[in-house]
Amino acid sequence: MSGYRLKLRAPLDARLDLTGITPAALAGLSSDAVARKDVFLGAQRVALGELFEVSSGASDALVVSGDPRLDGVGADLGAGEILVEGPVGADAGARMTGGRLVVRGDAGDGLAAGLVAGRIEVAGDAGAGLGSALPGERLGMRGGVVQVGGNAGLRLAERLRGGLVLVAGDAGAGAATDLIAGTVAIAGRLGPDAGRGMRRGSLLLAQAPASLAPGFADTGSHDLVALLLMARRVPELAALFGGGVSGRAQRFAGNRLVGGEGEILLLQ
Amino acid sequence: MKINGVEIRDSFAEAFPMAGTRLIITADTPRWARTAATSMTGFATSVIGCGCEAAIERELAPSETPDGRPGISVLIFAMSLKDLKKIVPLRVGQCVLTSPTSACYAGLQGGPAIPIGRALRYFGDGHQVSKKIEDQRIWRVPVMEGEFVCDEISGSVTSAVGGGNFLILARDRPAALAAAEAAVDAMAQVEGAVLPFPGGVVRSGSKVGSKYAGLIASSNDAYCPTLRGLVPSALPPEVGSVMEIVIDGLGEAEVAASMRAGIAAVCELGADAGVVAVDAGNYGGNLGPFHFKLRALMAPAGLAKETLEGGQA
Repeated sequence: MSGYRLKLRAPLDARLDLTGITPAALAGLSSDAVARKDVFLGAQRVALGELFEVSSGASDALVVSGDPRLDGVGADLGAGEILVEGPVGADAGARMTGGRLVVRGDAGDGLAAGLVAGRIEVAGDAGAGLGSALPGERLGMRGGVVQVGGNAGLRLAERLRGGLVLVAGDAGAGAATDLIAGTVAIAGRLGPDAGRGMRRGSLLLAQAPASLAPGFADTGSHDLVALLLMARRVPELAALFGGGVSGRAQRFAGNRLVGGEGEILLLQ
Repeated sequence: MKINGVEIRDSFAEAFPMAGTRLIITADTPRWARTAATSMTGFATSVIGCGCEAAIERELAPSETPDGRPGISVLIFAMSLKDLKKIVPLRVGQCVLTSPTSACYAGLQGGPAIPIGRALRYFGDGHQVSKKIEDQRIWRVPVMEGEFVCDEISGSVTSAVGGGNFLILARDRPAALAAAEAAVDAMAQVEGAVLPFPGGVVRSGSKVGSKYAGLIASSNDAYCPTLRGLVPSALPPEVGSVMEIVIDGLGEAEVAASMRAGIAAVCELGADAGVVAVDAGNYGGNLGPFHFKLRALMAPAGLAKETLEGGQA
C-alpha cells in the first residue's frame, strides 16, 4: 500500500489539530474517504478534504505540507512514518508509541510531549517543553529518540522520564527542570537555570554552561567508560559531538536540593 | 582409519546439553581484560566440582568491543539455566567488578536473560545509575577506581553442548603434551567453543563411579599407562601417556568444528611425533544425547590422507 499525501490548499488561518491522522488510521481508506475525515480547525469540525488536496504518495509514508498552525502532527502515532514538508505547530509527536515523524522545518511547543517510543527528527528549531509532560500528567517523555537540528526552547525535557533527546543547537532557560530520568545531549549553549529539581538522568553538554540552577555538586573530571559505550551504541550521539567522545567529562551531580542524583556531564 | 600414521579409533565422544552464555570483558589495557577474564573463568573446569565450566574464547580488538577498549570474550556453561543465572552474577561480581578498569557486556542477544547488572547494581548502594539505550539497559556502579559499567543482562542458549572430548594416545609424555598443545592452539581458532580444563588439557580423564561409595567419578584406569596388566587396558603396548581435551560449545556444530580442528592438528604431527591414536570418552551412549563419532568427524580429511598414503589404514 502506498501512503497518502496531504497538500494544504492555503496557509491555515486558525489552528488545525491533526491528532489521530496517522498512516494506520488512513490505511485501507480511499482518497475520498480520507478527504471526508473530520478534523478540528479552531473549534470547528471540518473535512480534511476542505483544507488539503489528498493524493497517493510515492512511498508508504504519510506526507503532509507544513504550517506553523498545524498542531498534533504525529500525535498518537504507533507505527509507520509521517513526513512534514515544512514547519509544524504544537504537540507534534505527542504520546507517540512507535514509528517515525520527520519535520523538515521548525516545531512548536510540546514536541514529543509524553513520547513513549519511536523516533522524531526535526530539522529546525523546537519550541518550549520538548519531551515534557502533557497537561495533567506527572511524567514527561519516557522513551524513544528526539533529534532537533536547531535550537530547543524553554524548559527542554521538563519532567523527562526516559529516552534520548539530542539538540544540535542551543537550549533555552530551565532545561532539565524536574527531570526524572533519561538522557539529554546539547551540542550548543545551555540556557540559565538548568536542572532545577532534577532527580536522576543525564544532561550531556559540549559547552560549559554559563550557570546552573543551585544545588549541583562538582564531582570533578573523570574518564567514564559509560560515555565510550554510549558513543558506540548510539552513533547519533557521537555524531552530535563531532564524531566521537573522549570519555572524559566534568561531572556535576544533583540536584542536591531535592536529594537528586542526576548528572550534568561537560564533555572534554 | 589412519591419518598420517595416527589411528582414529572407532569410538565417539558422548556429550550433554548445557545452558551457556558469552560475556565480553573489556579493560583499559589487554593485560587487565585478560586478568579479569582469567580470574572469572578460573576454577571452572568441570560442573562436577566447580558448578560451571568456563574459559576464554578469544581476544577482541578494540574495534570489536562495545566500548572500544581491548576485550576478551568468555563462554560459561552450567547444567541448567537456573545454575547459570546464579553462577554468572557471582563470578562477574567477584572477578570482573573487582578487577581494575574492567567492564562486562552481553556477548549473546536473545534467549533467556542471564543477570549481570540486574544483580550487581546493588553494590552501588543507591548511587548506581542505569541508562537504557534502545532496548538495552546498562548499569554504572560507582567504585573506588571510577565506575564499573555493565549490561543489565546477557542472552543465553539452552542448546549448548558440554563434554565433547577426545583422547590423545602417545608414545610418551612429551609427545602427548606436544600433541595436546598443538590441538589446543588449533581449537582456539574455533568460535563458539572453549576448552575449560587447565590450558585446555585434562591429564586425569575420569570414568563414572568408583569403588568408594559416594565418589561419582574416578581415574579412567583403562587409559592409565601404569595400570596396564592390572586392569582391562584400552592402551596398546607402545602407548606411554594419554591426554584428554574436553570441549564445551554454544551448539553441536561448534563442538564438532572444534574437535575436528583439534584432531586434525594432532594428526598433522603424526606418528613420527609419537602420536599413536586418537580415542574418545563415552558412557556407552546411553547418558548423553550428543554423539560425536571420531571417524565420521574426520571422514573428508581422513579419506584424502589415506589415499595419499596408499591405503595404510
